[in-house]
Amino acid sequence: MRPATQLIEQGIKAYTRGVLDEAERCWREALALEPLNERARSYLELLAGARTGGGPLPVPPEPVAVPAAAVALPAPRISAEAAAAHAPALADGGASRPTPVTLSEYAPSPWDQGPEESASIVLDAEEGVDLHTLDEKSDLRPLVPEQVEPAPEPARPASDVDVWMQGARELHALGDFSGSLEMIEKILKVDPSHPEAREYLQQNEATLIAMYESKLGSMGRIPRLAIKPEEVLWLNLDHRAGFLLAQVDGAVNFEDLFALSGLPRLDTARILATLLHEGVISS
Amino acid sequence: MADLELEPIIGIDLGTTNSVVATVIDGVPRVIQGRSGQLLTPSVVAVARNGKRLVGQIAKRQAITNAENTVYAAKRLIGRRWGSKELEDARKILPYQLVPGPEGYDVRVQLGDKVLAVPEISAMVLSELRADAEVFFGRHVAKAVITVPAYFNDGQRHATKDAGRIAGLEVLRIINEPTSAALAYGFGKQVEKKVVVFDLGGGTFDVSILDIGRSVYDVVAVGGDTYLGGEDFDRRVMDWIVFQFAKENGGIDLRGDKMALQRIRDASERAKIELSSTPSTSISLPFLVGGGDGRPALHLEKQLTREKLEELTADLVDRCIQVAEKTLRDAGVRARDVGEVILVGGMTRMPRVQRAVREFFGREPSRGVHPEEVVALGAAIQAHALVSPAQGQGEVLLLDVTPQNLGILVVGGYFETVIPRNTTVPTSATRIFTTVQDNQTAVRIAVLQGEKERATDNELLGEFVLDGLRPARRGEVEVEVQFDISADGIVGVSARDLQTGQRQSITVTATSGLTEDELKRILDENLDEALERKQAVSDFERRRLAAEAMMQEIEALVPAVSEALARSRFGKDAVQKAVGVIQRVRQAVAARDVAALQGSEEQLDRTLQLFKSLASGAHPPEEPR
Repeated sequence: MRPATQLIEQGIKAYTRGVLDEAERCWREALALEPLNERARSYLELLAGARTGGGPLPVPPEPVAVPAAAVALPAPRISAEAAAAHAPALADGGASRPTPVTLSEYAPSPWDQGPEESASIVLDAEEGVDLHTLDEKSDLRPLVPEQVEPAPEPARPASDVDVWMQGARELHALGDFSGSLEMIEKILKVDPSHPEAREYLQQNEATLIAMYESKLGSMGRIPRLAIKPEEVLWLNLDHRAGFLLAQVDGAVNFEDLFALSGLPRLDTARILATLLHEGVISS
Repeated sequence: MADLELEPIIGIDLGTTNSVVATVIDGVPRVIQGRSGQLLTPSVVAVARNGKRLVGQIAKRQAITNAENTVYAAKRLIGRRWGSKELEDARKILPYQLVPGPEGYDVRVQLGDKVLAVPEISAMVLSELRADAEVFFGRHVAKAVITVPAYFNDGQRHATKDAGRIAGLEVLRIINEPTSAALAYGFGKQVEKKVVVFDLGGGTFDVSILDIGRSVYDVVAVGGDTYLGGEDFDRRVMDWIVFQFAKENGGIDLRGDKMALQRIRDASERAKIELSSTPSTSISLPFLVGGGDGRPALHLEKQLTREKLEELTADLVDRCIQVAEKTLRDAGVRARDVGEVILVGGMTRMPRVQRAVREFFGREPSRGVHPEEVVALGAAIQAHALVSPAQGQGEVLLLDVTPQNLGILVVGGYFETVIPRNTTVPTSATRIFTTVQDNQTAVRIAVLQGEKERATDNELLGEFVLDGLRPARRGEVEVEVQFDISADGIVGVSARDLQTGQRQSITVTATSGLTEDELKRILDENLDEALERKQAVSDFERRRLAAEAMMQEIEALVPAVSEALARSRFGKDAVQKAVGVIQRVRQAVAARDVAALQGSEEQLDRTLQLFKSLASGAHPPEEPR
């Protein structure tokens, strides 16, 4: 991993712990190393907005160059009802929308909204209250610790899973689906059935796959090795990327590469997009 | 080009490991290249992790990483009975799941979430070949001749025919592979000699002896080893690589790593092929396996020499020669009596194999035919002769032999041969049997096929009862059993009480395991797919032809346009841009990408219109948009 990327990751971790100064330092160092690093710049802008509680509307982060639909900070599937409740406000457009003053207003976490109105429960005349239905419709969610304001010393030490989950939500809202996915994967290692993490996993994966595939272009295109075969040895690849690269023979198209990779679609898309981005393959 | 005006017809070598399709153009047999430019299509079918159905090379390339959903060597299973010895042997080595058919008779294959009959699997390979042929001809292809090993029994032949039907092909004839090879060898020549077909394919080894004379191709003996082929040679190279890697990398065993193993298998086959033409080859597999504990991935870099390959596979070559020796001995043919040895199968390109053949037969094997293509070419020749005998090389008579002994069950559970193997068909034979019990009034005639002494170890083709025998002491009633085999391989058996004249008979109808209802259902299911394919072929062809015409026009206009542009201040790069458009169209045509082709049509048309106006001088050059 490049030093700047490492610093960005460190910054994200610090940010999710609520240590904003450290986050700022990491991102500034990343920007010093790579002045054109959009990701570091966008995080710093967000951080500035969050700290001042006002100021100009931060530029939305563009972690990766993909079509708007793919990176448009989608709300997780489970927040559909809450998102629907806020739809009119979002539909007003920039003119009527109040300038965000905090991170949560810029990229509101769906979990912070809560149900707009009480869920209606239908009582079964014969069998009384169905607790399962009640539970489903009440929209009860675990409380989310407020992370927007700096909280150097949290009153209640949150578990690792809580911290990771919060980080995953924030990163997802920021459009950093890879970072969010990384957090989710940590959670699922500890608690494979964590329901919220699983939903975020699905959402992140779907978004990332769409992003990476949009970078590849048409699935019918045939990638070719863009470097000399003897130069492959000098790359920094893992064995999975090595396997996929070995399948690129100038005859197989992207669609077939997905079919024969044997890897999950996300991994295949990520590896191919990276190889394309780094100029190892061309199509 | 008279051949192209006829209805297209193809010959197919449906192999255990690879398949080939060929045809006859202008009187010359030729192999049809696949859509990716390949001559051989691996006989492999798979359902990928993403649910996509894969056939051929692409399926082969994920055969190890997706072993349970990849079906190869279906030819070992076709027409086999569930529970038969051959099937049990195959199950030991096949990683995919086999299940009995609905009536417990035949074999089915679990592929993804579907259970398919073996002919359906083979049909997928045949469909792929047919699609290649359709692209070649630019129109629908519906007729074919398919080859099978000479030892295939009736059920296996019938099942192969069913596979053809499922693939939308009318199978004009099933012919034996060695016959087909000899046909290609003898094409356009006057051949009168004893010929040995030495067929070392990917998974099986077959030796056949034929008598060729006056356009009569008579298979006089067949032998072989159904578990010896090119894949065994590949496995030796794989084992060597795995061992070398473990030795150099602290005992890391790559056999547990499917991705690594897939790459090693591909590299092993490639290295083996290269060593047929070079004395040494390098095997380079960068980033083959993870280094563990966050360490970088490990590479494999090895040199393999032809000498080493020969050392690793010496016993396999020896086995081939032993099998050939036994086949000749069984047929009473001496090696020096053989007038020609035809090499078939890619493995016979290996210099060590050729040397062994030369030493054993005491003569140079034939070099006039391409070992991988020869069987398909022979099938194409036969197919062509069937539809246009006038244009063929005269009437060719293909005489086949019975691949196994045919006989009946006799007292004690033994198998009594009536027609021995390697008997040329059509043929007929009669044997007299007697009753074994006093006052026995009926006998059960169980018709069997096989080589084993015990009746139960052979394949039951059918049975019937002859009753109404006159009561008498055992041994006194004589029953005449007659076997007739027609030229089409249909076996008829009758039994007659010689004293009373009472008679019963049976016609053994081979079955592939698929019932007619099942076959109808499968054909109905495939109908929509076939229509779509037909439409896709015609759509692509229509666009391709239109694009080709426009490109030709544009290219023809280039000199005039260049001249016009030379006099202008604008549009200097118009020709360059046109070349770019043509290149994109050619790429789309090569990739058979209808969408990309469609996308380029407008550009092509615009370019043509611009060029026409520039060349005619009617339109002054404009700044290109």
